Amino acid sequence: MDAFFEWFKWLYDDTGINLPFLYDSYDRGRMIDGFFMTIKLSVLCLFFSIIIGMIGAWLQASPLKWTRRFVGGYIQLFRNTPPLVQLYFFYFAIGTMLPKVSNGFGGEEPMLGGFAWAVVSLSFFAGAFNVEIFRSGIEAVPNSTIEAAKALGFSRLQIYKDITLPLAFRVVLPALANNLVNLVKTTTLAYAIAVPEMLYEANQIWSDNVNVTEMMIFMLLVYFVLVGALVWVMNRWERSMKIPGYGA
Amino acid sequence: MKNSKYKTDLPVMLSPKTATAGRFNLSLKPWHGLLLLGICVLSSTAAYTADDTANAPPFEVLLRWMPLLLKGFVFNLVISVSAMGIGTLVGAALGLGQISLHGSVRKTSWFVTQFFRNSPWLVLLFFAMFLLPFEIKVGGFTIPLPDWLKAIFGLSLPVMANVSEIVRGAIASLPSGQWEAADSLAFSRTQVLWRIILPQCVKRMLPPWMNLYSILTMATVLASIVGVSEVMTLTGQALSAEDGRTDLLMPFYSFILFLFFIYCYPIARWTVYLEQKFAVKT
Amino acid sequence: MKKLLKGSIAAVVFGALAMTSMVVQADVIDDIKKRGVLKVGVKADYKPYGFRDPSGKIVGIEPELANDVAAKLGVKVEFIPVVSSNRMQFLQQGKVDLMIATMTDKPARRKVVSIVDPNYYSSGTNILTPKKFGFKKWEDLRGKPVCGIQGAFYNKKTGRDFGAKIVAFKGTAEVYAALKAGNCVAFVYDDSSHVAKTKSAEWADYEMPLPTIDDAPWGLAVKLGETKFHEMMSGMIKDWHKSGRILALETKWGVTNTPFAKAMNAKYK
Repeated sequence: MDAFFEWFKWLYDDTGINLPFLYDSYDRGRMIDGFFMTIKLSVLCLFFSIIIGMIGAWLQASPLKWTRRFVGGYIQLFRNTPPLVQLYFFYFAIGTMLPKVSNGFGGEEPMLGGFAWAVVSLSFFAGAFNVEIFRSGIEAVPNSTIEAAKALGFSRLQIYKDITLPLAFRVVLPALANNLVNLVKTTTLAYAIAVPEMLYEANQIWSDNVNVTEMMIFMLLVYFVLVGALVWVMNRWERSMKIPGYGA
Repeated sequence: MKNSKYKTDLPVMLSPKTATAGRFNLSLKPWHGLLLLGICVLSSTAAYTADDTANAPPFEVLLRWMPLLLKGFVFNLVISVSAMGIGTLVGAALGLGQISLHGSVRKTSWFVTQFFRNSPWLVLLFFAMFLLPFEIKVGGFTIPLPDWLKAIFGLSLPVMANVSEIVRGAIASLPSGQWEAADSLAFSRTQVLWRIILPQCVKRMLPPWMNLYSILTMATVLASIVGVSEVMTLTGQALSAEDGRTDLLMPFYSFILFLFFIYCYPIARWTVYLEQKFAVKT
Repeated sequence: MKKLLKGSIAAVVFGALAMTSMVVQADVIDDIKKRGVLKVGVKADYKPYGFRDPSGKIVGIEPELANDVAAKLGVKVEFIPVVSSNRMQFLQQGKVDLMIATMTDKPARRKVVSIVDPNYYSSGTNILTPKKFGFKKWEDLRGKPVCGIQGAFYNKKTGRDFGAKIVAFKGTAEVYAALKAGNCVAFVYDDSSHVAKTKSAEWADYEMPLPTIDDAPWGLAVKLGETKFHEMMSGMIKDWHKSGRILALETKWGVTNTPFAKAMNAKYK
C-alpha cells in the first residue's frame, strides 16, 4: 500500500500532477473524513426528507383546511427560495436564537452545530419536493381499494400506512429517485456553513497545495461515481418493486 | 364522478399524474407576499426590542441597504437569463445529438449529458471559476473573462445537460406513429424532425424548461461562494459593514428569501398552468 | 475555401496590427489621463480599510488613499471591488490600474505584479475572541473550534501547528455571525481588522489577546513594467508617511495608530 502512495509522490515530483490526498497522510485523512461526511449527510437527509414527504402527503389529505394550507405554504416557500439562503437562514438566523449549551471550556455554543443545521435545512428542502411526489402517488391509488380497506375496519392511519403508501411508493419511485439524486448533489451546499464534507475538504487541500485543477477533476469524478451508484441502486430497486402487469 | 372511475373492474392502480403537475391546495395571492414581508419586519422588530437601544433598529438598517441589495438581485436575474440562454442553445444541440443516427455522436452526447447532470452545481461552478483562464488571447486580442462571465458559463453547464434531457425526453414521449407516418409521406429525417416532431415537442418541453429556469435562478446565489457581486455577496458585505450585528441576520436573510419567492413563485404557478393546459389527454 | 483563406489572412493582419499597437502602447499614466478615470482595485468587506456604505459606494482608508492618487493625476476615481483570489489577475489584465487591497507583500507576488516600495501599511495574524475565555498563548487554542476565512494562508498554520479545529467560511460576515453565536471560540485574521472591531460598541466584550505573529508589510501594486507610474506611487507613499496622512486616516476611521505607521512617519519626517 505504501508503495502505491509513494508512486503518487513520484508522479508529483516527476510530472507536477499533485494529488496530496494520496501520498500525504494528513490530507488523506481529511479527504476520507470528507467523503464519509458527505455519505453521512446524504443518508440522513435522504431518510428525513422521505419521512417529511410521507407525513406531509398524509397531512395534505387531511380534512382540516388549515392543515392543508399550512403544508401548502411550506411546500411553496421551500420550493421557490434558494436552498443556500435557506441554509443561511437556518444556521445564522434561527441558530442564534435557540438556547445555548456549554461547550466544555467555559463558553457557550449553539444547541445545533453546522452539521445538524445542514441536515435539518436540506431535509426540509428536499422534503418539500417529496410531499408533492408522494401526493401524486397517493392520488393514483384507487378509491375502491381504500373503500375496501375501510370495509375491513382499517383506521385512517392504518389505511395510509399499510395500503396507500406501499402502493403509492411503487408509482413514485422514478420521481423520488430523481429528487434524491438532486439531494445528494445539494449536500455540497453545506460547504458554505463550514460542514467538513467532501467539497470543503477539497477546498482546504487546494488552498494549501495550490492544485485546484487536480482537485477539481477529482471532485467531478467522485461525484459522478457517487451519484452514478445511487442512480444504479435506485433503478435496481425500482425494478424489484415493480407491480406485475402495471406500467411499461 | 366516483363511479366513472371504476365502472368495469377494480383496478390495482390508476395512472399517476406527474409529480410536478400537482394542483395547489393553497393558492397564494399578492397579499400573501405582503404578509411575508410583514413577518420579516415583525421578526426584526421583535429581535430589536430584546436587544439594547444603542443601534439603529434592524428594519431601518435593512431599508438603508435595500436599494443596493435590489441592484444585486437584478444582477442575479441577469446571470440567470444569460446562463439559461447559453444552456438552452447548447443543450438543445446536445439533446438532438442524443437521438442522432450516428452511434458515436449519440454516445458522446449521452455521456456529456450524464456527466454534467450528475455533477453538483456548486462543483461545476468552482470548475468554471478556477479552470477557465482570466482572459482569452485570440490573435493579438485579449478578451478578459470577468468573474460574472465565468459564473454564467459555470451555471450554464448543468443547464445544458438538463435541457439536453428535456429535449430527448420530449422527443421520446411522442408516439412512434408520428415518425412512421411522416416517413411514409417521404419526408427526410431533417424535415420530420424540424417540421413534425419538434413543433409538437415545444409544448411538452415548456413546463420542465421553466421549472429548470426557476431552479437556475435559485442557484445563482451560489455565485456568492466564488465572489461575484450578486445579492448574497452584497448582503455579506453589508453585514460586515454593520459590524456583524447578529440581530440583522434574520431580517436580511428573510429579505433575500422574500425576493426570490416573489420572483420564482409566479413562474411556478405559470408552469403548472401551462402543464395543465398542454396536458395530453389520455 | 477562398473565403476562408481571405478571412484568415485578414485575421492575421489584424492580429499583427493589434500586436504592434500593444508594443508601442503608451504609458499607463497617459492612458489614465486620456480616459479621465483612475481604476483602483480595493476590498469591499474589510472594514475600515475598504467596505461598502449603504449607497453601495466603497469607502475606507484605502479608497481615501486612492482618492489622493486620483487628485494628484487630476482624474476621477473608480473603485473595483476585489477579493484575495482575483486581485493580482485584475491588475495583470488591466482591469484596474492600481491595487490597494490589503495585500501582504511577498516575494512570490513581486514576480507577478509590481509592488511599490516603501510599504504603505503592515499587519500580522491574531485572533478576535470573547474576553471570558482568557486565551494567553496560541497553544491555548488546541482542540477548540476557530473560525477563519477560506483560502487564508494562516488557517493551515493555526490548524497544524497550534492544533485548532479550523472552521472556515467564505466571508467576514459569516465569521462574525458564527463567532457571536458561539460556533467557534475565536476568529483568526489580520490584526488590523481586529483592532478596528474591538473598538466598536458591538464588540466591546471581545479582545485580541495573543502576540501577533507573521507581521508582514502590505504592498500596493501597479502592473509590471509601468516604471513611471511605479515611481510616482513610490513618491506618493513617502509623502503619505511624511505628512502623517496614514496616521490621520487611521484616526479618522477609528483605528489606533499602528507601530508601523508611527515608525514610517518618524523615518520620513
